[in-house]
Amino acid sequence: MDAFLHQVFAGLAAGSIYASLALALVMIHQATHLLNFAQGEMAMLSTYIAWSLINAGMPYWSAFFLTITIALVMGIAVQRFILRPVRGTSVLPLVVVFIGLLVICNSLAGWIFTYTIKVFPSPFPAEPMFGQRYVSSHELGATAVTLVVLALLYGFFRFTPLGLAMRAVAQNPVSSRLVGIRVGWMLALGWGLAAAIGSVAGMMVAPIVYLDPNMMSGILLYAFAAALVGGIDSPGGAVFGGFLVGVLENLLGAYVIGNELKLSVALVIIVGVLIVKPSGLFGTVQVTRV
Amino acid sequence: MNATPAPLLEVSDLRAGYGPTRVLHGITFNLAEGSITALLGANGAGKTTTLRALCAMLRPQGEVRFGGRRIDSKATEDIVRLGIAHVPDGRGTFLHLTTEENLRLGAYTRRDRRSVEEDFERVYGYFPRLKERRRQQAGTLSGGEQQMLAVSRALMLRPRLLLLDEPSFGLAPLIVREIFEIMRTVNQRERTAILLVEQNAAMALALADQAFVLETGRIVLAGPADAVRRDDAVRRSYLGY
Amino acid sequence: MTTPASTSAARAGGSISGAAQATIDRRRRRVRLFGIALLVIIALALPFLTSSYRTFQLTLVLVYAIALLGLNILTGYNGQISLGHGAFYAIGAYAAAILMDRFGVPYWLTVPGAGALCLVAGFLFGLPALRLEGHYLALATFALGVSTPQLLKYKHFEQWTGGVQGIVIVKPDAPFGLKLSPDQWLYYFTLATTVAMFVLGWNLLRGRVGRALVAIRDHPIAAATMGINTPLYKSLAFGVSAMYTGIAGALGAIAVQFVAPDSFTILLSITFLVGIVIGGLASISGALFGAVFTQFVPNIADHISKAAPWAIYGVFLIGFMFLMPGGIAGAIRMAWARVGRRSAERARAQRG
Repeated sequence: MDAFLHQVFAGLAAGSIYASLALALVMIHQATHLLNFAQGEMAMLSTYIAWSLINAGMPYWSAFFLTITIALVMGIAVQRFILRPVRGTSVLPLVVVFIGLLVICNSLAGWIFTYTIKVFPSPFPAEPMFGQRYVSSHELGATAVTLVVLALLYGFFRFTPLGLAMRAVAQNPVSSRLVGIRVGWMLALGWGLAAAIGSVAGMMVAPIVYLDPNMMSGILLYAFAAALVGGIDSPGGAVFGGFLVGVLENLLGAYVIGNELKLSVALVIIVGVLIVKPSGLFGTVQVTRV
Repeated sequence: MNATPAPLLEVSDLRAGYGPTRVLHGITFNLAEGSITALLGANGAGKTTTLRALCAMLRPQGEVRFGGRRIDSKATEDIVRLGIAHVPDGRGTFLHLTTEENLRLGAYTRRDRRSVEEDFERVYGYFPRLKERRRQQAGTLSGGEQQMLAVSRALMLRPRLLLLDEPSFGLAPLIVREIFEIMRTVNQRERTAILLVEQNAAMALALADQAFVLETGRIVLAGPADAVRRDDAVRRSYLGY
Repeated sequence: MTTPASTSAARAGGSISGAAQATIDRRRRRVRLFGIALLVIIALALPFLTSSYRTFQLTLVLVYAIALLGLNILTGYNGQISLGHGAFYAIGAYAAAILMDRFGVPYWLTVPGAGALCLVAGFLFGLPALRLEGHYLALATFALGVSTPQLLKYKHFEQWTGGVQGIVIVKPDAPFGLKLSPDQWLYYFTLATTVAMFVLGWNLLRGRVGRALVAIRDHPIAAATMGINTPLYKSLAFGVSAMYTGIAGALGAIAVQFVAPDSFTILLSITFLVGIVIGGLASISGALFGAVFTQFVPNIADHISKAAPWAIYGVFLIGFMFLMPGGIAGAIRMAWARVGRRSAERARAQRG
């Protein structure tokens, strides 16, 4: 029973990271109908930036917030300079550009920081909190940070004019123009926010899996699985999907298929959801007009 | 010493189309501050294209001046900020947002928060049904209510010029009359100019000061609404008697 | 090596008499055949002109060319995006290795064996893939590509796959006592296979099959309405594409002399994508250009940094989409067409 609970809590902690990355994926998909294959690598690169800042002596939380800001700017820049020119073209060029972005981020990290694994600090104490044995302080803290980020985002979209404008653009860009919203900048901001969320996910996961350029590719796969399960156009679904996938992955890995095959869980979920119920649990069904 | 005030909107030789297809072949007209203008014509004459060209939803050629300034090369978002509100055909409602959120978006470009709240009250005054449904998802409103919402959203901008594309389309006559009454009120109270594209020529001519008739991308008839209404060809083609 | 579209583009460059156009076409066909013949002669001579290591590299160029042609059939001609073709390459490679190492099958039999296996595997994957479009198909194949190494390391398969260590293969000697080193023999064996696969591809793609694939890519609804059996063509495209890549994998395994899970990561699938984008989508010659690019760029760029080749790949991927969406083959085709137009104008001016 002990081990089971431990797996569940570890799954929830991992799930919080999948949830944030899945949310970033859903945000970009809602606004642009594109799947950001480079989301993981962008998060990884941001985490390296945080590592450099901390290594240079900056205190953890200062580095944390500065990294989020840098990631925000990076996301905006990527949309303005790389994605805006290819907007509206067919699927293949867009996928190619995303893969190119993935590859550039990965190689930049490898070039500047080398491929040796680095230790990334956790801001949370080493001993488990509240005297229990099921979950480490970092896992608890990471989950808390993720939930705070999600709450802030929810508040932003629900209660601020800018958030309302971004929701409008995601639904109906033409009408958004007619009320004076600068659609291009809203899309860029959406990218910036997604990159910022990704950076938080990266900084929360790095202490667990250690920092190396390839740390996010598996996690990205789980995030995609989570986003699809929840519904690729449902932010709430993405969060739910993240926690679900986290727990499922841990339980299946511990009790059914062994830890080495865990990635195939993501593969099966992705292919399964896409074939059986592409709209996921909470998404809207897309009807193709002929 | 009454100098005629400069027209609010001056359109010169406006040409526009979709890709290789040219729809407007050079139309020229003016409208005055606070006036109501009806744009009539059959399907495909270019009425909707005219409104879209004015808002830069497509790239026009020719000259368009609003309040003396050229706007034909500006982006839609900037034209909106100058005070032109467009209620497009199909209404363009944000279906997944609430009624209130739709209205708030209409005021997106405004900085004066208190007047925006006043405008909310005013719009709810014109259309009480919207106040009842203000937390409802806009997509669940009836056709008539969505049209009221679309017009109200445009009014939230406090526009100097209101462009309306077929507001009567698909609506019951009673609702249409209600909406047209509100438009008359808004025009009289706020001095908002209105450019109204309509298939329902009778109602449009009853409301308007001046009218233009478009045929295959050209203005074939122009003049005061009364004169246009009495014109034989118009009576036969558009008024049915 | 043209697709139907390019010939009409060249012809659109000016109105000249049918006879004059036919003469120009004949001349260009002669030039092209001459070029191919020259290429084949050079290819045959190369192993005797360079070192053993270079011959090995050239063998890999040919291997990649086959794989890239396979991916191009699916993605370039048929528009189904695959980010997971490394999986089929791995299946082919492991099939060859297991057949040779565990079952003693002769190397030359493993190549068609790997091809047949991948044809079936690809077709089976293509069936559920019918329901996926664009980005979602890319995602599903991306997931396949990312999970491939883990699947290959799975402990229950270890007795076949050799687990993390993989399998070591022995390079075959030249048969019939020919005076060739194993590297040289393998090069000719691969060259023969490459030529066969390219001729097969060329026949498929310039005929009805090719046109159907392109029609499905560009106008899927119209194609179905016209009676093209879209699901069958799409699944077959997947199968044939996987077959090509599987054959490449088998040849590659024999050349490199071993297979191990970490050789088949998502980066391999991405390398293939880079190859067809740089070489030219929907182009047979593009597969060759792409193969040369992906073989030799790492060689040159590796000196700067282990990450440098990938940085170049990434920049080129994005850059080519902006500047040269037709790839190298596309650029050559455009230059070729311009030359054809200019000679047509000159012919017209002379008669003027």
